[in-house]
Formats: sequence, C-alpha cells, structure tokens
Amino acid sequence: MLCSTIREILLQSCEKYGDSDAVRYKAGKNDIASKTYNDLKRDSECFSAALHSLREQGSHIAITGMTSYFWLTAYFGTVNSGSVAVPLDVSLPAEEMCELIDRADATVFVVDEVRADVADIVRERCPKLKYLISMQKEEDTDKMISLNRLLSEQEDGFDYMPAPEQLATIMFTSGTTGKSKGVMLTHRNLAENATCLDMKFPEGTVLMSVLPIHHAYCLSMDFLKGFSTGAVVCINDSLIRMVKNIKLFRPNVILMVPLMIETIAKKLEDAAALPPEIVKKEIFGEQFRTICSGGAYMPPAMLDLFGKYGIDILQGYGMTECSPVISTTVSWNIRKGTVGQLVPNCEAKTVDEELWVRGSSVMQGYYKMPEETAEALTEDGWLRTGDLGYVDEEGFVYLTGRKKNLIITKNGENVSPEELENKIGEHHLVQEILVRESEGIIEAEIFPDMEYAAKKEIEDIAGALRQLIDDYNLSAPAYKRVYRLKVRDTEFPKTPSKKIKRY
Amino acid sequence: MFERLVEIICNYVEVEPENVKKESRFMEDLGFTSFDFMSMLGELEDEFDVEIEQKEVADIRTVGEAVAYLESISDEK
Repeated sequence: MLCSTIREILLQSCEKYGDSDAVRYKAGKNDIASKTYNDLKRDSECFSAALHSLREQGSHIAITGMTSYFWLTAYFGTVNSGSVAVPLDVSLPAEEMCELIDRADATVFVVDEVRADVADIVRERCPKLKYLISMQKEEDTDKMISLNRLLSEQEDGFDYMPAPEQLATIMFTSGTTGKSKGVMLTHRNLAENATCLDMKFPEGTVLMSVLPIHHAYCLSMDFLKGFSTGAVVCINDSLIRMVKNIKLFRPNVILMVPLMIETIAKKLEDAAALPPEIVKKEIFGEQFRTICSGGAYMPPAMLDLFGKYGIDILQGYGMTECSPVISTTVSWNIRKGTVGQLVPNCEAKTVDEELWVRGSSVMQGYYKMPEETAEALTEDGWLRTGDLGYVDEEGFVYLTGRKKNLIITKNGENVSPEELENKIGEHHLVQEILVRESEGIIEAEIFPDMEYAAKKEIEDIAGALRQLIDDYNLSAPAYKRVYRLKVRDTEFPKTPSKKIKRY
Repeated sequence: MFERLVEIICNYVEVEPENVKKESRFMEDLGFTSFDFMSMLGELEDEFDVEIEQKEVADIRTVGEAVAYLESISDEK
C-alpha cells in the first residue's frame, strides 16, 4: 500500500506485523538477537522524545555507524519527529566527516564507537554541533551522551505525524566537480519510492542486509521497503563474514552490488561440475531465491548463470537524487538487456540522448547548492540523470552510456575523477593527471613535471609518483583509492579549449 | 603461515604460487577485488581460528602485511 511518510510505513507495519521480528542481528559469534516491529516503534519514538527534550526536534541529526539496531532507532526517531537525518559513510576520513557534518548544519551527532576518532575532534571542527550521542556507551561521559541512557529516560509514545513534504534526509553523494552534494529527500520522496511497487515478496520474507546503510539503495530497499512488506531484515555484521552469516540467518533475498554478484559467480563457475542443487545449498541454502542488483552495471550473463541455480537476479537502476529507484525488474517479467521497468511513481523521457525522469521521488535539490541544483533539475521538475538511455512503450529502461564524468565502481560507489585529480595533482611533481576506470579499477595516468624533477634531482620519477599515490591512498577511503598508475612521457592530447581529452 | 596463505590466495585469483611474494599487493599485483579480499579474510578466520576486525584490515595492502596481522592476532589468543 502506498505510504507518503516514513512514519506511516512504521505505523502500518506495526498494525499488521507488530509482534513479528523486524530486525535480526548477531549477538556473539553464533547467536541471534531480534527486535520486533513494536520494539522499533517504541524505541524510535523514545529517540524522538529525546530530541524533543534536548530541544533539537526539527534539527539536522548526523548519524554514522555500521548497520545496527541503534542506527535504525536513531534514524526512524529522527525522521519521524520531523527532524532531518544526515546519514554519513562510516568509512570516511575524520576530516571529511567533520566537513560534511558542518556543511549539513547538524546540531546532533549520533556516532558508533568504531568512529571514536571523529567524536574526539568533531566539537572543535563543527561549531554548530551541540550534542554528541554514543550508540554503545552505557553511561554519559563529559563529552558524550549515552544513547541507552537517553532512551531509558523517555516515556513511551511520541505522537507526531510529519507531513509528506517535510524534509526527512540529506544524503551525500559524489558530485562530478569533486565536492560531494547533499541530496535533500522528503518523506514523500523516500516513502513513495519504497512503497509504490508491490514486488510480491510474501510477508515474513527474510532479507539479509549487506550494503552500507548510508547509501540510499540499502536504506530504502532493505529497510523502508523491507519493513513496509513485513520482512525480517537480518544485519550482516561484516563483509568478511557474509558467507557464514548466510548460513546463520538463512535469507530468502539479498540486495547486492555487481561486484559481489561477479565474485560469487566465479565460485559458481568453479563448481560447475557439481549438481546445481548441491552447490546452491552449500553457498546460499535451499531457502534462497532472489538477488536484487543495483548501484552499477551488471553483465547480463549473470542472469543465466544464477538462473541455473534457481536464483532470480532482479536488476534495478536508480540514483540517490531519485530516492533512489527509477526502474526495477520484477520476478514475473524479466527482460535481459534492460534495467527493468520504470517504477509507478516515475515518468521518463529522452532529451539529447540523456534520460530525464520526473515523479514523486525526485529530490528537492542539493542542500545549499543552488547552482548544482539548477543544473540537475529543470523548472518543471525533470531530473537530468546524466545517463544516456531510453524507455520503450512497455516502460523498460535501456541504458546506453554516461554523460556525466563520474566513475561508478562495481560496488556501486560513485567517484569523481576530478576530485582525485585535484588532490593528487596538488603535488609539484604532477604536471597533468587523468583519473579513469579501467578493467574495474581506478587508474591514474600522470605526465610528470620534468623540470621540477630535475630541480629536485629526482631520478626515479616513476618510483616517486608511486610513493605519491601510496600516500594519497592511505588518506582516502578504500573506494577512492588508485590501484594502477601509468606514467606518460608526453603531454595529454587537449581539446580546443585546452582541457585534457578524456575519451 | 605464509605458505598456507599463498595456497588460499591462489583459490581466489588466477596466479601461480611462486609469483606470490611477501611484497605482492593484493589489489594491484594479484588482482583481488575488495570483495574477494573480504571473502578471503572470512576463510582465514576459520583456517587460523582467529577473529578479524574489518576496520583493522582496511590498510593491509601486501601479503607480508596480512601475515604480520594474522600472526599478531594469533599471538593475542
């Protein structure tokens, strides 16, 4: 059923599935703990009440951490009190995380203890910040409030109904110019995207959430959509233990990015001589039936390969700016070579080969970035996706290329080449640099400044550049690291406006 | 430990055991993807009966660094 606020999703789910498990997670090595829909409603309402008591209801609340019940409590408590959640990538370097907290005007920061390093410096760097809340600490400290303590002091029940047009979440996404942009999404944007299409997953379907929760695809499809259909969402505590956790939680469905699918495909190919039902049982368990794929391009051959094992891959397409799903495949209408059909709340057209979309899930704009917003949105509400493609009469979406200068890695992360070029290019030894994707990894090609090398008596220029890349990598999150270096001995070819030719 | 690790590495990527050196880098030299690497760490947990923390392995780049890390957590036990 279509819901227009995240509060409505939670209330309806509680009414229908109240005492059923909403979330399962590991408690110890092989034990499972769970929380019901009613637990999530009660605890998140306590968080809403806590924000009210801190006089921060309506403020911007930054949240970072591994996927956890605490994270979900803080997220639902924030948005359902009419406040704005700002989910942040837990793997960001501390300085970058502080910059985003500051740019998002957050006054409260809810932080997982794995990022105690950020908690240590954030007060100095973010003058607007008033409260730091620790997800795990049992007692308050001089710097931090304990989430547990805060929740335990609230009375149950916080009756507030946000309006569909109210801002719910600001999600940061890589911009093509290098500065990440805060995508503003309302309750309607997110809730209608999650509930506008019935994918016919039966109530009680077991999902296992393996993607980072600060991404729109994971937050929206694993959790908002999952909860709206009465699913049990199991939290994979680490990618290291995904295989073991599949055996522990016995999921029916997992949302993945193509990198994961292709890695598992290699294992399936290695086991091609064995009977498919035995291989499936060993890797996924008999109960497993569906992989939803999104975030990046997936080779169509994967559909047939997994099909042999009785597993459907439902490929989708979207972007954070569209909350995020634009199109998806459904199990009863799979068409190879497409990224599925437009979801019901989305219309599309092709303008100069670029796909434009419009509908109730299209963002309000980028937070405090009017120029970038005007570039992305037309006055009559169309979102320029930056992707080249078209839609056929039945609503199937075909993607043919990309207009925007953005690397989309196989694990669905968007990386701006210009951001990396600017950072690495700051060094005097780099005269010209081009960053691109090649064979699935990020590659940098550099034309060194020979005069500088001569002046500084650098003989092993390639070695010095290698060291420079190593130093950059140490300061960058894993998905922004450069894994291959090419050194040129001539300048790059240029366009008439003297820019380096990218293609 | 190094020899056993090399055997396991060769199950994940197409590389000959003699070409895996302590200074080989997982991504650049051996062709690991980030997800291959994570999956292999899961197998290493069972193989060496240790518990690996994801944030502690973020900066491991070479085979030698992986051996040193595994030895350090085995010693803690």
